[in-house]
Amino acid sequence: MDALVAHSLTKVYRSRHGTARALDGVSLTIRKGQLFGFLGRNGAGKTTFIKIASGLLLPTSGTIELFGIDVIAHPREVRERIAIIPQEGKPFYHLTPREHIQEYLQVRGASSESAKSTADELVHAMGLEPYSKTPAMLLSGGLQQRTLVAMVLATHAEFLFLDEPTLGMDPFARRQVWEVIRRAARKGSTILLTTHYLDEAEQLSEELAVIEGGHILYKGAAEDLKAKVHREVRLHFDRGFTSRELEPYGEVYAEKGGLTVMTTRARVEELTRLALERRSAVSIGPVTLEEAFLTLVGRSIEEDEPGGEWP
Amino acid sequence: MTWRKQANAVLRICWFNGCLGLIRSPLVFVALFLTPVSFLFFLYVVAPRAELPYGVVGGVLFSCLFTGSGMMNDCAYLRLERQMQQVFITSPLRPISWVLGMALSELTFTIPALVLFLVVLTLVTPVSISAFLALIGVIVLTWLLATSLGFLLSTFFRTLREIWPIGMVVFTSLSVLPPVFYSLAAVPASFRWIAYVAPSTFASQLAVSAAGLPVTSVPGAPFLSSVGGQLLGLVLLTALFIGVAMRFARWRDP
Repeated sequence: MDALVAHSLTKVYRSRHGTARALDGVSLTIRKGQLFGFLGRNGAGKTTFIKIASGLLLPTSGTIELFGIDVIAHPREVRERIAIIPQEGKPFYHLTPREHIQEYLQVRGASSESAKSTADELVHAMGLEPYSKTPAMLLSGGLQQRTLVAMVLATHAEFLFLDEPTLGMDPFARRQVWEVIRRAARKGSTILLTTHYLDEAEQLSEELAVIEGGHILYKGAAEDLKAKVHREVRLHFDRGFTSRELEPYGEVYAEKGGLTVMTTRARVEELTRLALERRSAVSIGPVTLEEAFLTLVGRSIEEDEPGGEWP
Repeated sequence: MTWRKQANAVLRICWFNGCLGLIRSPLVFVALFLTPVSFLFFLYVVAPRAELPYGVVGGVLFSCLFTGSGMMNDCAYLRLERQMQQVFITSPLRPISWVLGMALSELTFTIPALVLFLVVLTLVTPVSISAFLALIGVIVLTWLLATSLGFLLSTFFRTLREIWPIGMVVFTSLSVLPPVFYSLAAVPASFRWIAYVAPSTFASQLAVSAAGLPVTSVPGAPFLSSVGGQLLGLVLLTALFIGVAMRFARWRDP
């Protein structure tokens, strides 16, 4: 069964500075129980999509359904079944992490006992125990973000919208949050996750979509996205090559004082032989999701120029 | 979510946003006292002693109207800066419950000042039980009117920078310029009807009447001179403000 079905969703922002098309005919389906990643550059349309899907923003045209309910016509019914971490949201300054979770659950209709036990569980799972009695205003940005994530994941809502949930967190905290997100998915929540951390998307998402300029460029598994760019291997040379020499082998970019080329397996032998001849140190590895994403979006930008920010 | 759970949610919001906010930030408590007490002190020093009860009634109403300013600031702040309104709205909580919870929070902040002014009022002029109850009614209507207006305004801001100038204009026009802290008799007779452009004038004249102070008539407008007319005016304006807030408040950005 499908949890979310968007069809030809378009959003045009109008202001006195002009108009901007944030979404341009986006059609997307997310299966029930799926952990779905949504990738894109700043301003690509991810947050606009989430706002429309959660009933916070009206689209200019198109339709969107959540569990078969029309989000535009029946936002109240949809809101019964969702929870959202907004991008750059911040907790109340005077409440502790435990109070945030407990009060939010009670406001959503949970009993005092169940809210208390869920708060205990989430405070522990998110590593917030040492700070559970500290008001949010005294917590670091990363801990405030963890509080917000705990508050929303504690709801066990049927559909969770997580708009950059690990923003500003250290690598340890991010892994803790990943585990809690995975647990929510195992318990049956459908999750739409946007992130700029490509490793996070790769680790968590069963399927992902790449959006650029309001269009969906790709939808499928992370592995298939890597295959889609027709490059499997990345080679990094510390010296001995120019960009022009490497361009016939694949996408080239400067990195760590040398050059990296993404190429096919068939070209690896030839390139390593050249590296030996030129006495260049070479490191070889598989193409990452980040490189595949950059290649895909980079191509799209080249095709679409001139582009630009919206007003 | 059932109505009982919605009502419980309203009280929870009032508890964690209002009560805990007040307990953990005592400066809010001082700030809310400061403006009406300053006006009262000013009146005590410069105005004839007979004007003092009007100043105390003004303090009561100013505190009620201040809930509107607080509502506007807090709702805009929680929506734009903290994005907490979005977190609470995208849940089984009905939007009206969120607004009521926030409005009750604002009342919580104001209750200490209201209690002080009501006590002072009983010291400067005799107030019967029925007059006291009538004053409570005026307080409730004014609170509903001010918080509806405050919430409605909060939904139109796009940045926090816009809040203070608009708040200053609107709530000064409602609480300082009209005869809230002074008697309507100070306004020339032929211009008194203009004071009723501000909804707070209906509230102030009702409160003055409830406190047993002399009520000033409006020549050529018997409706505005009677308690029934003033009550009807305040009830209708409050209903209008609530209706407009519910109809036009931006639950979803267009």
